[in-house]
Amino acid sequence: MDCYTANWNPLGDSAFYRKYELYSMDWDLKEELRDCLVAAAPYGGPIALLRNPWRKEKAASVRPVLEIYSASGLPLASLLWKSGPVVSLGWSAEEELLCVQEDGGVLVYGLHGDFRRHFSMGNEVLQNRVLDARIFHTEFGSGVAILTGAHRFTLSANVSDLKLRRMPEVPGLQGAPTCWTALCQDRVAHILLAVGPDLYLLDQSACSAVTPFGLAPGVSSFLQMAVSFTYRHLALFTDTGYIWMGTASLKEKLCEFNCNIRAPPKQMVWCSRPRSKERAVVVAWERRLMVVGDAPESIQFVLDEDSYLVPELDGVRIFSRSTHEFLHEVPVASEEIFKIASMAPGALLLEAQKEYEKESQKADEYLREIQELGQLTQAVQQCIEAAGHEHRPDMQKSLLRAASFGKCFLDRFPPDSFVRMCQDLRVLNAIRDYHIGIPLTYSQYKQLTIQVLLDRLVLRRLYPLAIQICEYLRLPEVQGVSRILAHWACYKVQQKDVSDEDVARAINQKLGDTPGVSYSDIAARAYGCGRTELAIKLLEYEPRSGEQVPLLLKMKRSKLALSKAIESGDTDLVFTVLLHLKNELNRGDFFMTLRNQPMALSLYRQFCKHQELETLKDLYNQDDNHQELGSFHIRASYAAEERIEGRVAALQTAADAFYKAKNEFAAKATEDQMRLLRLQRRLEDELGGRFLDLSLHDTVTTLILGGHNKRAEQLARDFRIPDKRLWWLKLTALADLEDWEELEKFSKSKKSPIGYLPFVEICMKQHNKYEAKKYASRVGPEQKVKALLLVGDVAQAADVAIEHRNEAELSLVLSHCTGATDGATADKIQRARAQAQKK
Amino acid sequence: MSPLDRIANVSILKQHEVDKLYKVENKPAVSSSEQLCFLVRPRIKNMRYVASLVNADKLAGRTRKYKVIFSPQKFHACEMVLEEEGVYGDVSCDEWAFSLLPLDVDLLSMELPEFFRDYFLEGDQRWINTVAQALHLLSTLYGPFPNCYGIGRCAKMSYELWRTLEEEEDGETKGRRPEIGHIFLLDRDVDFVTALCSQVVYEGLVDDTFRIKCGSVDFGPEVTSSDRSLKVLLNAEDKVFNEIRNEHFSNVFGFLSQKARNLQAQYDRRRGMDIKQMKNFVSQELKGLKQEHRLLSVHIGACESIMKKKTKQDFQELIKTEHALLEGFNIRESTSYIEEHIDRQVSPIESLRLMCLLSITENGLIPKDYRSLKTQYLQSYGPEHLLTFSNLRRAGLLTEQAPGDTLTAVESKVSKLVTDKAAGKITDAFSSLAKRSNFRAISKKLNLIPRVDGEYDLKVPRDMAYVFSGAYVPLSCRVIEQVLERRSWQGLDEVLRLLNCSELAFTDMTKEDKASSESLRLILVVFLGGCTFSEISALRFLGREKGYRFIFLTTAVTNSARLMEAMSEVKA
Repeated sequence: MDCYTANWNPLGDSAFYRKYELYSMDWDLKEELRDCLVAAAPYGGPIALLRNPWRKEKAASVRPVLEIYSASGLPLASLLWKSGPVVSLGWSAEEELLCVQEDGGVLVYGLHGDFRRHFSMGNEVLQNRVLDARIFHTEFGSGVAILTGAHRFTLSANVSDLKLRRMPEVPGLQGAPTCWTALCQDRVAHILLAVGPDLYLLDQSACSAVTPFGLAPGVSSFLQMAVSFTYRHLALFTDTGYIWMGTASLKEKLCEFNCNIRAPPKQMVWCSRPRSKERAVVVAWERRLMVVGDAPESIQFVLDEDSYLVPELDGVRIFSRSTHEFLHEVPVASEEIFKIASMAPGALLLEAQKEYEKESQKADEYLREIQELGQLTQAVQQCIEAAGHEHRPDMQKSLLRAASFGKCFLDRFPPDSFVRMCQDLRVLNAIRDYHIGIPLTYSQYKQLTIQVLLDRLVLRRLYPLAIQICEYLRLPEVQGVSRILAHWACYKVQQKDVSDEDVARAINQKLGDTPGVSYSDIAARAYGCGRTELAIKLLEYEPRSGEQVPLLLKMKRSKLALSKAIESGDTDLVFTVLLHLKNELNRGDFFMTLRNQPMALSLYRQFCKHQELETLKDLYNQDDNHQELGSFHIRASYAAEERIEGRVAALQTAADAFYKAKNEFAAKATEDQMRLLRLQRRLEDELGGRFLDLSLHDTVTTLILGGHNKRAEQLARDFRIPDKRLWWLKLTALADLEDWEELEKFSKSKKSPIGYLPFVEICMKQHNKYEAKKYASRVGPEQKVKALLLVGDVAQAADVAIEHRNEAELSLVLSHCTGATDGATADKIQRARAQAQKK
Repeated sequence: MSPLDRIANVSILKQHEVDKLYKVENKPAVSSSEQLCFLVRPRIKNMRYVASLVNADKLAGRTRKYKVIFSPQKFHACEMVLEEEGVYGDVSCDEWAFSLLPLDVDLLSMELPEFFRDYFLEGDQRWINTVAQALHLLSTLYGPFPNCYGIGRCAKMSYELWRTLEEEEDGETKGRRPEIGHIFLLDRDVDFVTALCSQVVYEGLVDDTFRIKCGSVDFGPEVTSSDRSLKVLLNAEDKVFNEIRNEHFSNVFGFLSQKARNLQAQYDRRRGMDIKQMKNFVSQELKGLKQEHRLLSVHIGACESIMKKKTKQDFQELIKTEHALLEGFNIRESTSYIEEHIDRQVSPIESLRLMCLLSITENGLIPKDYRSLKTQYLQSYGPEHLLTFSNLRRAGLLTEQAPGDTLTAVESKVSKLVTDKAAGKITDAFSSLAKRSNFRAISKKLNLIPRVDGEYDLKVPRDMAYVFSGAYVPLSCRVIEQVLERRSWQGLDEVLRLLNCSELAFTDMTKEDKASSESLRLILVVFLGGCTFSEISALRFLGREKGYRFIFLTTAVTNSARLMEAMSEVKA
């Protein structure tokens, strides 16, 4: 414990800075770092080195090598650089390597050296060449800023949505600026540059000279500038060895320092923690590293090797040929606990726990002391928090142990913070491992979020670890395991040396029915890699047919798509495929395909019925479906066609079809209809009036109503109208005409096939009781009662009913007896009934 | 009333700056508005209308904004038509996934009357997806259904599609407590007979006589006895209606007059009142009484009007014939009755209905009758009905008796020889011929014709047969009753065979431990192709008897006339 604070260096009175080793690098660097273009991604990201850059004239024939390493120095990729000279390297927020070439072209590579895409920074840049370039991060993504040979700036604030902006000219600028940087303020990217003693701020429209507030006099040139990780602060290094630190707006000075070194530093970066009041920058020269802040003294380190600084959210990473270190301000919780002679509750708790382990009574004393002050909760929290900031697992453990010990004496301490910290540390320790090489601090991890971390693991193809983390943290499958498996599968399909069967099987074995995994997405990827067969195999595993179809269509497997669409039961999908097929196949093949798919066929028929009548006919023709063909022509005979000849022709075709369909009834009916049509036409010509499209019945009725009885009878004979119908028809028509004389004649023409009750009914309907009574007498005995009741002769009806001795008839009459008038009749019936019962 | 009226009536739409409402039909819309919005069912016909309207505007050189909103879903075919007509770029399309309209406390309607023709006649399965979506919606609202039963091809397909939907989006309903214990899906073609019968329960009778549209009915001047017609919402909130809706019509008058007397008595109470009581009466009761009075007079008017109409058409004779058909006696007499019905041109739809009823109950018409009735019908109502007959035959509603069992024999032989898929196709092709209704056998098996000693007391019904004057228990309802009793199709094999549904009935039970006994009393019955008010009344009765509570989900409320109209071909 005594040596724990040995690597703590005080800066001023209130802050300590410590530097500890993350990894000892065993990358086999052949060259010095200073001979390479170096780019290291923040958040413990990968390191890219481009050896043998062009500024050294030697051996131009030797192609440079681009190498990518993990933060722990494990090689991830190495490739011969075949493109033009590179001016600058940088990592985007998605951990893609951007290589800015002299001609303004930017090549984008993946983490594993896989070429992704390339874009250009515009013609102006191409003409004037790139002098210098910076890759910077904004809230939208990653930006590129370029200083051209003409001393003009061009930038794009987001490379994934490339919009080039040419910045305004700096008036009177002759040579290159001594130093410059990209700034991001209020969601807008600016350029700050120094020319001699002057500073200029370039925004979209204007160039303005700016002066840092409270800058010491005597500055003739700015040699270096540094923007903090969050773009909030800015540091300037002058040729007098004076360092100005203030806000990025330059309007406020935080502190200043004079280091008395006039040599321009190699690198200068901010080193501050979020939410800390301390501000400090780290300045590196060839062999010296200096931490300066608001204190008269600085912290100095000697650099044994060529080193490179990587600014991070809460500190600075420093890597060299042999080591990778982290320098940061000691967090408050750690400081409180570990500061020598600290009496902070956390410190006491840690002590108490240690004594407890030693089985010493002192444990109790310490504990009492904390409890008396009522600070146990705070102590536990402090220990938990401090554990998060420790890099070494043994220290994490002892702090967590102390926290857990303290928790025992608390009644209601919510367990989440402790549990969460244990989980987080486990994850952090796992990814900090040498083999993984992502040295995230707790603050960085929280800022990055677990989702992004998982993405980065996937990007590094560390699928098993990512899945373990998901399972360990019990992330919902859709966000966690499934997503990773899907990524894995997409990677898997790109392995061209493995056979389709093996890939498909491997993927299915792993993925099974994991929810949230879309086989069609994976298949689409396989298709994208030119592996159609594999894509089809993968689609077989896709449970949602609806998802299979679009890709199958894209792959021109329309027939397969059709059967899948039909399986899905989604008619709309089937239809989509149908239209595809229709365009793709020739008509004959298309029809043949339909023929084997009744559901698709009926769907297509539906469509044709409204949209393509001719096709519908062809469809029926092909299937020899004469019945439907007949119906089709019948329908055609009613549609639009006004001319009688056309209609008759259509009907004739229909009749022929019906004969072929062996539907003689329909054929005959159709022929009758043709005859009727012709006849109606003739009637219209000869008699005038409207006959066309009337039914046979109505035609005859119309004739009778028009007084053409002969014609009517002729028609009835021609069309063999049954007697019954004819009688009904005539009866109704004559009654409508109120031609009672003719009706009577008709009734006497022969014995009525429908009896005489209808005559009574119809007359009554016309309210002609007189006529009705005539016929009532002729009604047969079974219906006599009914007829008499119809004409309102209740008394006689009763007599007939009694005579018939029919119980039903009796009650029927009785129900018609109303009020006093029929009182006598009712009595009569009752008597008859009583008599009947007696017998 | 249209479904839209139930959701957003004209005044609401006007508040939202809708200028004028038009019916989508093939007429130019005379409007000076800058924007036209089409709210349509996804049908090709509608698309052509939209296209012709847009094209007419183009010709006239006007530019307007057009929006087509498809409900309940957009179909690719429709967009295709817009594209073919060259207007796809001019309109913007949207979807309104509206599928369930609550018409009453226990009745949900999808308001898809076209479902019946589309599926059962044209074999178009487009709405199955919609049904599945609606069921999915219900299960997200009320939790999973622990017991599922179904019968019919469409029911099976809908059910399977619904299951797939649930699987795709699982997690939502999982772990939820089921609120509805059972769901029963039933295809309309399992029981055409019930739907073809004349309705004699009040609500059904009102539907048959005046046509209830979207839970509302337009009573004409003959009912209101004034010169205006009256729109009345018919649901459980109408207290008078709620008490008579499920009653046999013969009881309704008695009930109404009793009600009128009670009402009068309540009015009369005010005679002996002092000022204070009177004030109370006026402020609290009078409004309710007046409301009730108004409703009462409406329903009395409706009853009178029904009575008048029904006696005119010799309703008693008609009912007698129907009962004879159901019971299977005096077939010859019934046939001549139908013949006379046709000869007298009573009503094309009614004649058709009787022919279908005769065909289904008798397993098809004997060839002689089949021909002569059809000939008569064509002579009476016009030759275009040749197509109607072809439709009815395809749907299995009006068929010719096959000589012997030859067809089924051929079919079974064929299916043995070729693969299942091909057999299915052949079966489809033969289905209209081979699908025998077997009504008589089913009726015997399920005891659909109650044996009555003496008069059936319609005031105190004993069974569901009361909805048809005690002559017939609705087949659909009996099937539901039987399955619910057994909690499966077990023991109903013979019935299923007779219904041609051996392969098409399913039961799916999950563990019931999570379902409360309360939820197990709730049953959602889904009618695919429509249900009648008589069926609803019968099941409500069954619910009261057995302590269940039925909720109905139907593609549309239907009746015999609507079914027949759906099958009819009318001249364009």
